[in-house]
Formats: sequence, C-alpha cells, structure tokens
Amino acid sequence: MMRCACSKMAVAAVGALCFLSSAVLSQGIRVPAKGELVTITAPPKPTGETPRTPDGHPDLTGLWNGMSDNLDTIANQIYNDGISIEGPHLTHDINDGAKIATWPVSRVSKQNDEQYNRAGTLMRRVGSSLPIYKPQYWEMVQDLDTNANDEDPTNGCLTAGVPREGMPSYIVQDPTHIFMLYPGQGHLFATQTSYRMISLDKRKHTPLEDLDGSDDGESIAHWDGDTLVLDTWGFNATSWFGSVGGYFHSDNMHVIERFQRDGNILTWTATVDDPDVLLEPWTMTPRVALLNPDPHAVLPKQLACSDRSLGHYGTKEHH
Amino acid sequence: MPTIAGLARASILIVIAALAFQSVGAQNGHPDESSTVGTPDAAKVIKAAADAMGMPRNGAEGGGALPQIDVINRMQFWGSGTSSSSGQTYKTDYHVSASYNPPAMRVEITRADGATPQHTFQVVRDNYAWDESELGGGLVPGKGTATPSMTAIKTRLLQLWILPYGVVKAAIAADDKTKVSAENGFTVITFPLSGELAGVTEKATLDSKNFITKVETKADNPSLKDLDLEVDYSDYADHGEVQTDVLSPHHVVEKRGGKTVLDIEIKMWNADNPYVVFPVPASVKKPS
Repeated sequence: MMRCACSKMAVAAVGALCFLSSAVLSQGIRVPAKGELVTITAPPKPTGETPRTPDGHPDLTGLWNGMSDNLDTIANQIYNDGISIEGPHLTHDINDGAKIATWPVSRVSKQNDEQYNRAGTLMRRVGSSLPIYKPQYWEMVQDLDTNANDEDPTNGCLTAGVPREGMPSYIVQDPTHIFMLYPGQGHLFATQTSYRMISLDKRKHTPLEDLDGSDDGESIAHWDGDTLVLDTWGFNATSWFGSVGGYFHSDNMHVIERFQRDGNILTWTATVDDPDVLLEPWTMTPRVALLNPDPHAVLPKQLACSDRSLGHYGTKEHH
Repeated sequence: MPTIAGLARASILIVIAALAFQSVGAQNGHPDESSTVGTPDAAKVIKAAADAMGMPRNGAEGGGALPQIDVINRMQFWGSGTSSSSGQTYKTDYHVSASYNPPAMRVEITRADGATPQHTFQVVRDNYAWDESELGGGLVPGKGTATPSMTAIKTRLLQLWILPYGVVKAAIAADDKTKVSAENGFTVITFPLSGELAGVTEKATLDSKNFITKVETKADNPSLKDLDLEVDYSDYADHGEVQTDVLSPHHVVEKRGGKTVLDIEIKMWNADNPYVVFPVPASVKKPS
C-alpha cells in the first residue's frame, strides 16, 4: 500500500508553512536551515512585478510551487486551515479575525505519530468558516467526516475535483486558453494527477442537462479587471468540495474561482453554491501560492495512485 | 569535617531539590500567592489547565517549531441522567452541540418521564436565542419552526462558558482581570465574564492534576440570580468517537441555589471540532 500523504497533511495544513517566515519571505523563497525556529504561517508579502500579456491581462503562467521545489514533501500552496499563525503569541481565525490563544514554542515534548495525527485532526478543523448545509444533511456531514478514512472518494484514486483540488501547481496562459496542472503527489492530497484546459473565448456554458457530470465539471473563464474568474458547473455528485469535513455536494453544484496575481504571489478563492444541499453559498478562506524562483525547476514525475488503507492511522477521520 | 567537594555536592543537591519543588508546584498550578493572568504564575496555571485537557496543540511533526494554539472550537456531547425543574425530577437524555467561534450552543433535551415525553431544542448564538421545534427548525420552509426566546440569551450563553474549555478561554480573554489564588489547598481561577454576561464572575477550582473540577458563577445583580450556578466535573478521559487526546469529564452535576438541576453521565464527548452549525433563522433575526 502506498503511504498516504495524509501523514503529511498536518504539514500541508500548517507544517508546510513552518518552512517560511516573514523575514525569510521578504528576501525571497528559501527553505530554512534544519532546526531553524520559524513560527509564522501568515501569507507573505508579494515581491516583484506582475507580468502582463500583450492584451493587458496579468500573466498567470508559471510554476506555482515556490514553497519548495521538492514536491514530494512540500505542499505547493499556503493551505491555511482557516487560521493564520502570525507570531509566537498571535493566531487569528481568517474568517472573522477572532483571536485564538497561542503559546510560543518551548520545550514541547516530541509527538509520536498518533499524537501528531490527532493534533492534525483538531487543527485542520478549528477554523470558523463552515458551509451551511440544510439541517437534514447535518448528521450526514458529521458521519462522513468522522468516517472519512473509509468514505473519502479520493481514497479510491478518484480525482479530488473542483474546488477540492485547490490551486494548480503549474499554469500556462496563452491568448485563447489557460491550462492548469494539478499533480497528485506532492500536492495537497495524494490523489490522481489532473489537468484543466479552459477556453478564454468568452463562450457560454453548455446547458447543464447536456453535460455528463464529472469531478472537474465544465469551466468557462472571463476576466473581471485583473482577476481571472472561472465559472464551473456540470459536476457529478461523487467528489467532496472541502479538503476535510465530509463536504459532499449534489450534481447541481456551481463553483466560482477567482485567481489574482500580485508579483510572485497567486491568491485563489472559491465560492461553492449548491441550492440542493446548502442553505447559502460558501466562500472558502483564500489560499496563496508562491512562484517558484528557480528557472530550472520542474514538476516531479507522476507516481502511480493506489487505493489507500488508512486503518493504521490514529484517527478515523482525516488529519 | 565537611570537605569542599562535599559542600559543593550538598549545594547542588539543595539547588536540585529546590528546582524540583518549584517544578512540581508549577505543574500542579499552585501559585505562591494571588496573581493575575498577566503574571507568570497565573499564565502557568491557565496553561496547565489547558494542557490537562489537551487544548494547546501544534500540528508539526515531532511537536517542534510551531507555536501551540487552542485547537478547541466546536464539540458535541451526549449524556443521560436526571434533570429537575419546578420541584420535579425527570429521566433525561442530554445532547449538546457547542461552538466558541461563534459563541453558540444547541441543547437537545429529552425527558422520558410522564405520559408525553418532552423533547426540546434550545439554541443560542451571539445575541439571539430561540427554540426549534425540530433540529434546525425554521431554516427551511415547511421544516419545523423557530420561536425567539430572547430572555434566555444569558442563561444559555452561560452554559457555554461554564464548560471546562469555556473556563480556560474566558480566563484568557479576561486577561489581567483573571486572578489565581489558593483556597483550601486547591488552585482557584477567578475572572469576570464579558459581553452579554458582563456582571457575572466565574470561579473555577483545579485538582492536583490541573483538571477543572468545580465551576461557580455569581451575578453582581440580584435580579440575575438565575445565573448563580455551581457545576462539578469529574472523571476526565478522552470520550470521543474519534480519539483526539482531548480529555473531557464523564460526570457533570449542575446545581442552582444548592439544588441539583442536572446530573448526567457522559456517553460520548466529541471534541474534534465536528460539523455543528447555528444559523439564525430569519424569523428570529426579524420577528414578525
């Protein structure tokens, strides 16, 4: 069995960010020295100019895995769990700014794998931003989350789908299309690699009834000022839309993604609307990716996906 | 006659013993004298209480490099026992969903005695309190009703802040108004509540393992004597369906005016930040 990347997910959730500090980031991207004490997980300040295409739009082209060029171990994006650890005494909930009690790094006894998994389970769910399902689905969401190691569709090598796959690691933009590549390994989840090819020709959606549902749906794109907006429908009801939480959806889901580039920073937000199961649309807390500064960096080779058995982990749910 | 080496060894032993004594005191959370949360002693006591329940955690492999944060936000627990009102005692099933951000709680009470079992959902969120005819009643047309119960805001919110995790959060929030002292050999934390519960003082007693075993509340205003409560918590363990190393009490006894109003044993306490939500129904936000 392939070792699940979930063992790295607390790293993806928060730990990946411990490789960065505001001081480090203000000088560019680098992996800190072993043992270097880093306490900041807040998104960095952007540096550099935002390149533009001949038609004047921001050029999103690039390898957006600037956290590290080792995608086998480091998530490509600042996945924030809805919280921002801004210092040894300061953490905020990104959704509403509420302060979360924080204690500085001290002589913390080392955690074994089980303790680490359990802490990750808690940290990944502590944020206050939750989709509001209709009451008849509340218990179902709880059950799916509690039993996610069995229930999560990505455990069976299905793609994570939109918007769960998060940010692409690689974007190519030309005047007519935008291409997005989501490598499974080294990405937020150890799932199937997937790609999207989206036209920029201002076409309309195919009528929903004419589409075969899929994990990624049908995306169309337009520019809203300097923001690239992807509008997606035509989903199946198989995938989940949240990284944790058992957030299932219907085939009536409609997702709006927004990409904004500022220098070497790409910010992504996704709003999920599904009137069949949700009481109201839900906007996820923004994620940030960093441009890889190494001109020679490439994506890692794709690893084969295999069904994951998570029974050996310390929690029933994802951690 | 003692040698220099012997004196040096003795001195080292004395220093080690003193440090060990100090360390044990800190672990047990017994401060030397009354202090506020802004002082090292009080901060240690609050941290010790939080540590005892597994609230401060970090997600870094090996436990290093990242600060610990309070990882408790949402929870659910189920218990059964008895509850009393108007001089009558009922067999009771008790199911609580709670959230600290936003501050909210839904208490589902099933009283089994009598010809007609009573089944109620009492909800509070921020400055709203309401009763649901069924879970989530009043949110979807044709699916139950929500009846405003604004006079119950304070009593319902108080239930959130007398839970052991609420005690730690409120004590931290009260900052230098939180005082720590020793009473009858036990460490006691005292702090004022704020917002809707301004004017209520809470006192929590810690046992030798730093677990919160007793919580008492007292309102300044005699007209709010409904807010004067005493709750005993005992037998802490991880009672979660998903194991999280968050410890919760197994036995909860709540008293008002010296009389027991709730006595339950916990069957399950999920402190893993489960999916619990508290949308305020439109009919509660803008009652007709």
